[in-house]
Amino acid sequence: MERRLILTLLLLTSFVLGARSQNVSDLIISEVLATPDSTGFQDDFGRRSGWIELYNTSTGTVSFGGCYLTDDLSDLKKSLIPKNDLRTKLGPRQVTVLFASGEGNDGTFYAGFTLSPGKTVYLISNDGKTVVDSLPIPKDLAPGESVSKHASDAKMLRWTSDGKGGEPSPMVRNGDQNAETNAQIMARKDPHGWILTLVSVSVVFSALAILWFLFRIFFELPAKRAAAPKKAKPAKTSGQGIPDAETAAAIALALDMENGGDTYAAIALAMDLYFNDTVHDTEPYILTMRPSGPSQWNDKKLNFRKLPR
Amino acid sequence: MEQIINSLVQFWQYTGFANCTWQNLAMILIGIGFITVAILKEWEPLLLVPIGFGMIVGNIPMFPGLNIGIYEDGSVLNILYQGVKQGWYPPLIFLGIGAMTDFSALISQPRLILIGAAAQMGIFGAYLLALAFGFAPNEAGAIGIIGGADGPTAIFLSSKLAPDLMGAIAVSAYSYMALVPVIQRPIMLLLTTKKERLIRMPAPRAVSQREKIIFPIIGFLTTAFIVPSGLPLLGMLFFGNLLKESGVTRRLAETARGPLVDVVTTLIGLTVGASTQADKFLSAKSLLIFGLGLLSFVIATTSGVLFVKLFNLFLKEGRKINPLIGNAGVSAVPDSARVSEVVGREFDSTNHLLMHAMGPNVAGVIGSAVAAGILLSFLG
Repeated sequence: MERRLILTLLLLTSFVLGARSQNVSDLIISEVLATPDSTGFQDDFGRRSGWIELYNTSTGTVSFGGCYLTDDLSDLKKSLIPKNDLRTKLGPRQVTVLFASGEGNDGTFYAGFTLSPGKTVYLISNDGKTVVDSLPIPKDLAPGESVSKHASDAKMLRWTSDGKGGEPSPMVRNGDQNAETNAQIMARKDPHGWILTLVSVSVVFSALAILWFLFRIFFELPAKRAAAPKKAKPAKTSGQGIPDAETAAAIALALDMENGGDTYAAIALAMDLYFNDTVHDTEPYILTMRPSGPSQWNDKKLNFRKLPR
Repeated sequence: MEQIINSLVQFWQYTGFANCTWQNLAMILIGIGFITVAILKEWEPLLLVPIGFGMIVGNIPMFPGLNIGIYEDGSVLNILYQGVKQGWYPPLIFLGIGAMTDFSALISQPRLILIGAAAQMGIFGAYLLALAFGFAPNEAGAIGIIGGADGPTAIFLSSKLAPDLMGAIAVSAYSYMALVPVIQRPIMLLLTTKKERLIRMPAPRAVSQREKIIFPIIGFLTTAFIVPSGLPLLGMLFFGNLLKESGVTRRLAETARGPLVDVVTTLIGLTVGASTQADKFLSAKSLLIFGLGLLSFVIATTSGVLFVKLFNLFLKEGRKINPLIGNAGVSAVPDSARVSEVVGREFDSTNHLLMHAMGPNVAGVIGSAVAAGILLSFLG
């Protein structure tokens, strides 16, 4: 009973941990612009201020409502992102921008502090304690420039920053402006399709060949070995595996006296069936009893009302 | 009076007669053709009847904006169509296929697995041809999968790679699956000699229940680790088979291979048929897809038969494989295996090839799911 309980708890724990992987921990601060210039991105009020871009690295929707933004580790709850706004749900691999206008009451997407070079921006989980992600702003970041993170792996799960300023790209996944689809890449690299064909055919063959190999090694060969006739240990032989003349004559005489030709045929057939493994099919061990027709128990005729005569 | 006339005129504009085009009529006729063939010839009736009727449903001319068409958001047909569009139905059908498939033939003669792999050449042959005809790689991949002769796989992959072509690809795949006996027989006869057709294969050994239970687990782990992108199809296929073979989940297996697969087949057939609305379906591209689909079946059958002949060069006498089972690598279960049996018995009425052909046949199902996974990972 206790063992079952522990197992259930372990399963639940792994489930909860698995669920967390599709949560705020998947969010990153992908880009920050501290000081705007005169051509920068404007907020809903037409103002230009610093901004923080969040990116959802997962392939599921994540809600960042209830999380906090701060630039001060001694005040993790500096600016709350309102919880009850449906717009705080961020789709898979999508970005959103929050303005660091210093006026948190302006709306959901406004932080209650302003940004300045040399500081670090933190995204705090909705528990108000856990730092989900951070992005340091270089001291020498020029006005109008942003610092950003880019994917450093093919799965686009690890994002790193080189700590240098660059051209800002708010509301766009970083490094994604000219990204090609897989099909476009294949069209460029393999216009006639031969490479993909060769690779794919090899993979299909390999996958099924591995399956073949595994079943041959673990099942076919042992089954053949088991089915092979075992060499009987002769009781008395002439030293070459053949019964000596005296023994053979005694066996023949005994069989001849006890049995007729039919018995020999039956023995031969039985041995043939036994050694060729065709005596029995492997049954599924399920017996099915199906009535062949209506019985006294279920015959519909028995339910008919007899007509009065 | 004028009001009545105006109302009648307005009503007329909503009728099918006012909105009818020749394309609608053509598609309705094709739908009737499918139903006729399914009923009279009994060619894949479980698929062609729903698809044929779906074609008629999808091509009833109507006034747009009433929220009833399959491509109109929120309509009943549109909601049912999401199962095709989002790829929910194919894995459910694979669950049913797994629960009804007996892999004994494959387990008893594992070497036959390779024939299932060889027949997947149809997919890649059609991919190359589609590229040569100017299709984009993702479209070519979706067209190529017709050669897998597996309707659910074709729908699954085309919904991911080329949703616009899905109707034509699905109808093409199911149509040629119904035509397997017509397409494969002449190729098999052309590529084999009389002597080869008479080859007798050793009886497959009996397979223990333990092997049958282990097969779906090992099969799934092997294939899914190599091609994780085929997970929805492979996972459901092997899961269904485990339900069948475990012996302790009979009710689940019976539901999977019975009511569940029936419901999903009905819905997939009807909605795929209804998705062939004339304005989206009748095009030169669709005709080209039909042509490429036919070629993919030809290539797949040819590859399967030729592979067996090649394989035989390395096998001892008495262990040789009858090349008439090469066509069965095309995973139209069990039709292509049945073709092997029928053609084999034409030349030797006592030579039963069905059990042998079922091996490559079910291997073809696994192979086409693996191939779909590969195409998805490269082109998706």
